[in-house]
Amino acid sequence: MNVTEYIASGILESYVMGAVSDQERREVECLSSIYPDIKQELDQLSEALENYALLHSVEPPASVKDKLLQQLDFEKPQEKEPIIRPMPVDMTTSDATTGLAFRTTWVVAASMGLLLLLFSFFLLSQLRTNQKTLAATRTTNETLQSEMRQLRDNQSQANQALAMLRQPGLRTIELQGNEKAPQGNMLVFWNTRTHQVAVDVRSLPALPADKQYQLWSMVDGKPVDAGVFEATNGNALVQRLNRSISRADAFAVTIENRGGSPTPTITTLLALATVNA
Amino acid sequence: MKRQSSLVSESVLIEKLIQRDQQAFQWLYDQYSPALYGVVLRIVRDDEQAADLLQDIFVKIWKNLDGYDSSKGRLFTWMLNVARNSAIDSLRARKTQPSNAIRTDEENVHIVDRQHNTEQPNPEHIGIKDIVDQLRPERKQLIDLVYFGGYTHEEAAEKLNLPLGTVKTRVRAALQELKQLFK
Repeated sequence: MNVTEYIASGILESYVMGAVSDQERREVECLSSIYPDIKQELDQLSEALENYALLHSVEPPASVKDKLLQQLDFEKPQEKEPIIRPMPVDMTTSDATTGLAFRTTWVVAASMGLLLLLFSFFLLSQLRTNQKTLAATRTTNETLQSEMRQLRDNQSQANQALAMLRQPGLRTIELQGNEKAPQGNMLVFWNTRTHQVAVDVRSLPALPADKQYQLWSMVDGKPVDAGVFEATNGNALVQRLNRSISRADAFAVTIENRGGSPTPTITTLLALATVNA
Repeated sequence: MKRQSSLVSESVLIEKLIQRDQQAFQWLYDQYSPALYGVVLRIVRDDEQAADLLQDIFVKIWKNLDGYDSSKGRLFTWMLNVARNSAIDSLRARKTQPSNAIRTDEENVHIVDRQHNTEQPNPEHIGIKDIVDQLRPERKQLIDLVYFGGYTHEEAAEKLNLPLGTVKTRVRAALQELKQLFK
């Protein structure tokens, strides 16, 4: 387009005077951003009008500045609201709405607080219940574990006992208490091949802490130490004795000091049984 | 011109104004309020109304600063347009009242103009004013009618009993002359 002609058309002068239509205004703004010559002419015309306006400068009343400094907000970030002056009429309405808004806010806040409190109590009670359940479960678990441990022990003992009893060459001798222990009753397991000895006490009188029962094997009429054992089997099924017995015509039981005695105390003899050939 | 130094830092000033800097506003007000007040006063021709308008205008400027686009024109021009439009709008609102304010006033554009000038002499611009007085009266009248009266070209043509083409030519010639005077 012919820039010179456009400048000479007078549209720019009309633009700076504010005497153009919206469409013409957009056209001028668009063209001035494209053509530097138009922009320059526009700036010069604007400046001329600015200077013309400056000529008519009149000092405004000082009260305007004071009012503005009070009215304008120099703290807050920008507000787009095009309100120019506060309307005195608005005061009552705004007061009422503020009061209402305040009350509403208060009610909402209080409700929220109450809800929060209730919810907290609910959570707390849930937590306590859970803690109780957890403790109970833990106790049960421990009980179960100890029971299981015991069962496992029992089973391994039973297996051991059974293994012993199953071995070939096992002899079982029942011993009955004499007059000193009329209720006495026990079994002696003796393996003639492995020479192991074990007892199964069914019923024997209890002993003081420093005494133990001692088993003797009679070989050609002479007593041979076959080990000591307790008055009860305790948890075990049988009590193994840590002596190796290769020969025995009979088995006898005496009460001796704890740890055993090299020779039997005949006065404490409780039971005696021969081994059948 | 004397505003040259301030124009260099105009973008800094605008930045500060958008940041709501009170000192920047005071500077802006001190710098431009006499010019804006003068323009408003010439349009509404009532001290009290002009003072109220000036206050509204600075509030508008303050609130719409982020809408100012420096690529479309200078800050002062933009402020002048805000002031001019506000004053003309206010005048048009009053025009609906029986006393046809504009028309009666416009009959006496020159007389009122001179009254204002003599009432409030501005020593800084006396020299330039002498130059402006060199403006051909019919051109000055047209500037005052269109710029300070808010007349469209058509309205001015009707008012002055001139062909529309003559009005357009005269407006252009007046501005060009003004431009040369201030060069």
